[in-house]
Amino acid sequence: MLWRIAWRNLWRHRGRTLIMASAVALSYALMLVSMGINDDAHGRMLREAARAAGGDILVHGTDYWDTRASDIVIAHADSVAARIARVAGVRAVVPRVLIGGLVGTATDTRPVLLQGIRPEHEIAMRDIAEDLKAGSFLAGERADPIVLGSRLVERLEAELGDRIILTATEPNGEVTRALFHLTGILETGTRQLDEVIGYTTLEAAQRAVAMPGMVTQIGLLTEADADVAEVAARVEEALAARDSLEVLAWQEAVPEMVGLVEIDDAFGYIYLIVIYAVVLFSITNTFLMAVMERVREFGLLNALGLTGARVGRLMLNESVLMTVLAMGLGLALGLAGHLAIAHWGISMASWGMEEVEVAGIDFSDMVMYSTINPLKWGIGSVVVALATIGSAVYPAWRASRLAPAEAMRFYE
Amino acid sequence: MTDGPVIRLRGVTKVYGQSGVPVHALRGVDLDVAPGEFTTLAGPSGSGKTTLLNIIGALDHPTAGEVEVAGRDLAQMHRGDAAQFRLDHVGFVFQAYNLVPVLTAYENAEFTLLLRGAPPAERKGIVQPLLQRVGLGDMMHRKPHELSGGQQQRVAVVRALATSPSIVLADEPTANLDSESSEALLVVMAELNRDLGTTFLFSSHDPVVIERARRVVELLDGRVDGRRPAARLP
Repeated sequence: MLWRIAWRNLWRHRGRTLIMASAVALSYALMLVSMGINDDAHGRMLREAARAAGGDILVHGTDYWDTRASDIVIAHADSVAARIARVAGVRAVVPRVLIGGLVGTATDTRPVLLQGIRPEHEIAMRDIAEDLKAGSFLAGERADPIVLGSRLVERLEAELGDRIILTATEPNGEVTRALFHLTGILETGTRQLDEVIGYTTLEAAQRAVAMPGMVTQIGLLTEADADVAEVAARVEEALAARDSLEVLAWQEAVPEMVGLVEIDDAFGYIYLIVIYAVVLFSITNTFLMAVMERVREFGLLNALGLTGARVGRLMLNESVLMTVLAMGLGLALGLAGHLAIAHWGISMASWGMEEVEVAGIDFSDMVMYSTINPLKWGIGSVVVALATIGSAVYPAWRASRLAPAEAMRFYE
Repeated sequence: MTDGPVIRLRGVTKVYGQSGVPVHALRGVDLDVAPGEFTTLAGPSGSGKTTLLNIIGALDHPTAGEVEVAGRDLAQMHRGDAAQFRLDHVGFVFQAYNLVPVLTAYENAEFTLLLRGAPPAERKGIVQPLLQRVGLGDMMHRKPHELSGGQQQRVAVVRALATSPSIVLADEPTANLDSESSEALLVVMAELNRDLGTTFLFSSHDPVVIERARRVVELLDGRVDGRRPAARLP
């Protein structure tokens, strides 16, 4: 009977109920869509960051990632790579020599972050040749090719075929110089990157800094369904005998991006909490008004033998029904929004992120989609439901405390 | 139940506004009502009729005095117990706003039975004949706003009687009715009193109600007025 009265009471003031339910439904739908977009965008950002860092898992000589010291290398790189390749969950193994040095021409000298790579391995990570503006990407016959970022080439006033001198430090601490020939020019779309980036072949890099058979980094890609942390643990186990190596999952390798995502998540939640708090206060206010309007009715129910607790429960029942109604509507709206965004996507560039780059990720060409994280949606829904129902607790308590004789005198 | 009075009041006093200026609503009321009586508390506005009915109906506590209804001491009864007492022993007919607006006449009439956990068949067996008896057999599924004032009061009477209470308290039940509806309502209540033996206690200053009462208790300034006869027969 209480549920029947509660349901009919909701529709006594149809307009008011619909406004309250719409406010809850819209804020709930907004929460679901925000979660979907954030989860997808954050997932993409983190995956991109992992790629930019060099892989889902990175293997270096111990402490290399923190110090970037040129003397920390992986010796017997081929055997280490082969051992890693056998670990379950590893999809690709990409060895690299990373050189922080200077490149110069007769005109100028500029800092460079040069990577010695094997293009046929690197393509598992990303097709760098897609950014090629001129020349070729390490595909020619030359033994000393170098491909540089477009702005770096401009500063050096170099042209394809020109000689480029690399100055860098060998693992033994000796400063060395090596000759390269400019065979390609890259334009990544990120100005900062185009000012410092450079690639050469793994062998040319090893020769340049006297690292025969050695690499600086081995990047790993994991299988799509693999748990990166578990694969990293297995890689660590496989390399246990080589205690001079460090194995970093991408979360450890790009902490700035992980931090950015956490901050973004936190701001997102604060934003949702503020919106929802406003909605809840207005619902509480509306329920309180309803209590004031219905003092006589509550007095009557109490006089007829309904205890104060059951009078309060009547109010809570109304709140539960309104919540179910509103959340049903909100879920439908949220799912529709999710499906639309999952299908068509939202371009980050349209949000004014053309020039934003974090942890080596260029946001300008990123399109956000929506991904449902059932656990997050579930927890979010439970929180919304409890908060909405909870907004009627105080009004219900007020209704339960009404003295029947005074309530019956109300408006007399 | 005992063989004595169903309502027994001794020295009942009610003072409002004790933190400010005290207002004495009742000043030592003594009253006995026997089972099956059809009694009216008469008196001008502010004489304490509603306050006395509220105390007898366990809707309010007296400031002092003894209140015994259906063998239960109500003077300091806890709120929760009072609600159960009302459900078990008291039927109410108020002056206005008697019915739950979102329930039909039938649902309003069965409301107290439902609170007592009566099964649907039992509720139907009690409520339908009573509604038919008060002339609302074809209006059971109407909402209160679809009924006239007199019809609403008759639904309230059915609800009050549905649980076979020890007493029915009716506070100014005809105040908002025209004379024809008032007469019809009183006839119904008098018949039910006669046939079912239910004790009725009214508060009213309506001459129609006072004429119909088999006993009139006059209240004046919170006291039973000794200047007029405390009982008279029609």
